[in-house]
Amino acid sequence: MTQVQPLINDTYAYGFHKPENYVFKSKRGLDRAVVENISWHKNEPEWMRQFRLKSLSIFERKGMPSWGADLSGIHFDDIFYYIKPTVGKVSSWSDLPPEIKDTYDKIGIPEAEKKFLAGVSAQYESEVVYKSIHSMLSKKGVIFLDMDSGLREYPDLVKQYFGTIIPPADNKFAALNSSVWSGGSFVYVPAGVHVELPLQAYFRINAANMGQFERTLIIAEEGSYVHYVEGCTAPIYTTDSLHSAVVEIIVKKGARVRYTTIQNWSTNVYNLVTKRTRVEEEGVMEWVDGNLGSKVTMKYPSVYLVGRKAHGEVLSIASAGPGQHQDAGGKAIHVAPETTSQIISKSISRGGGRTSYRGLVLVHPNAKNVKSKVVCDALLLDEASRSDTYPDMKIHNQEVQIEHEATVSKIGDEQLFYLQSRGISKEQAQSMIVNGFIEPIVKELPLEYAVEMNRLIELQMEGSVG
Amino acid sequence: MGSPTYECPISSDKCQIKIDGKNIIKLSPQERAKMGLFLAFQTPIALPGVNVVNLLRSAYQAVHGKPKTNEGKNIQNPLLARRLQSGGMDLVEFTKKLKEYAKFLRIDDAFLHRGIGDGFSGGEKKKMEMLQALVLAPKFAIFDEIDTGLDVDALATVAAGIGLLKKQGTGVIVITHYQRILKYVKPDVVHILVGGKIVDTGTARLAKEIEEKGYKQYDPSTTTH
Repeated sequence: MTQVQPLINDTYAYGFHKPENYVFKSKRGLDRAVVENISWHKNEPEWMRQFRLKSLSIFERKGMPSWGADLSGIHFDDIFYYIKPTVGKVSSWSDLPPEIKDTYDKIGIPEAEKKFLAGVSAQYESEVVYKSIHSMLSKKGVIFLDMDSGLREYPDLVKQYFGTIIPPADNKFAALNSSVWSGGSFVYVPAGVHVELPLQAYFRINAANMGQFERTLIIAEEGSYVHYVEGCTAPIYTTDSLHSAVVEIIVKKGARVRYTTIQNWSTNVYNLVTKRTRVEEEGVMEWVDGNLGSKVTMKYPSVYLVGRKAHGEVLSIASAGPGQHQDAGGKAIHVAPETTSQIISKSISRGGGRTSYRGLVLVHPNAKNVKSKVVCDALLLDEASRSDTYPDMKIHNQEVQIEHEATVSKIGDEQLFYLQSRGISKEQAQSMIVNGFIEPIVKELPLEYAVEMNRLIELQMEGSVG
Repeated sequence: MGSPTYECPISSDKCQIKIDGKNIIKLSPQERAKMGLFLAFQTPIALPGVNVVNLLRSAYQAVHGKPKTNEGKNIQNPLLARRLQSGGMDLVEFTKKLKEYAKFLRIDDAFLHRGIGDGFSGGEKKKMEMLQALVLAPKFAIFDEIDTGLDVDALATVAAGIGLLKKQGTGVIVITHYQRILKYVKPDVVHILVGGKIVDTGTARLAKEIEEKGYKQYDPSTTTH
């Protein structure tokens, strides 16, 4: 008897997914009842219920963005807006259901944890189910919780800041997130406290057609420091998924926050994320943003420099393969004098993929002696691929120093030949050149992420050469 | 070496380049390299971000490493998996050797961690080609005008590299327009190449004669070019 072989093998390296096992799953589509249901399930305070409902009506009123990537493949009526995987939460690894544990084993969380993580908060579906917080954090008064718990345990603190940096009316997807958000992280760092080790969270989507709408709020009090890292790998599906997060960060006087993202959603996910920071006097905000996966990404981490001498940085890497469009970049809004910003973007397009740099530097009339530098470099691997740059500069003050550099390069036959003549295969030569191209940003990543990033590029290159 | 920009001037089925009796004309550049052929480029290009250590480690692995194994394929830790699949090259030993050769060629260690050719001077680029030849220890190395653009000290250093290669058993072909490198390198055989054809063969003496009389005697037309 002949054995039947599977016709199609998964091509997405991390494209495994587990059988679904949920306690509660909302119906498809979005209406008032769904939103009220979510709020009821989470046993939220009345103000949050109202906030969600108000956001829903804004979402319904607002049109889709008229610029950026093609979003016509999103069908809001086909999406599940809330899924609750297991009852309650667990505090240790061994208490996790075996299925979820297995999923995390595959992305290597235990290894990562061994590497002296300060705290791991991993999001499975819409709810954080696994969390271990190093005692060091609580001793220093640092709060690191999933957003739902944050709201429950620190309602006043959350109410004071929630939605103040990114109001629901900011854009359609911020409104959507505001009405159906679930999970994400709540981080509070007291004045003068330095969190030495990065706080890490892992995110995964595991239900066909289920959107993830996590919501993160980070408050860094005066003179504090924290580095927050999120990494995403997602299983592959047959129908499109939507990931629409909101991240709000408040950097108080003299504080410094770094937020690192490695996004590797499977290539059917619409990744539409709003990230923004308010930076006060002499504060520093650094966004390190890597977009490797997803079908479409629209993400422009922003810094609002509202205090004198505040500094903001955006380092962005985007890689687009067949069928992908990475529309990424950054925004620097200079409101106060002597503020400085830097946006560095590196993009790689291959196999017909498309990358766009989209950025904004805005200097208010009162913001004197502002310095800003924008560098965007694009690397094209073949003729079929595409890269565009949309830099927007709105400078309403004469006393400024603004720099803008942009380059587009192609991997040349000469470069490939040189490496090949040393015995290196074409695929490896390409990944060496690409890794060299993004190295200035990769070296800013925590070690395990830098290793993973290089490995992901290699995997992509292996698939890109015919 | 199999550059995509070069074509064999005669019909391709007659075209032959043999290493150890095997015709390599249809082989790709990396296959030729694996057979032990090395080309030092006349004008090496720059590869920003591809640092010298990584390039040489990958190249050494490709040319001399054991074939990659599937061992560790299912291991999630990428560092561990890569080590298992690397064919067991001794990294410490390799790095030690690389640094010795760099010292021999008076290349500062800092260059080893920079993108190859990135911001290098002409002389540094040529020395870097020599370093690669020494580390990769090929059967045959071709140096295409390694001596142009070098000052006297660098020329002596590079020539010492050729001597060391020869001592280690590499067959060396030096392509040059000038006599001056022959002060440091004593060739066993000298070929005179005009218009793509070998027109004369001799010993080091022949090169000296050319230096005095020029190529006129080989020119089929009466005019010089």
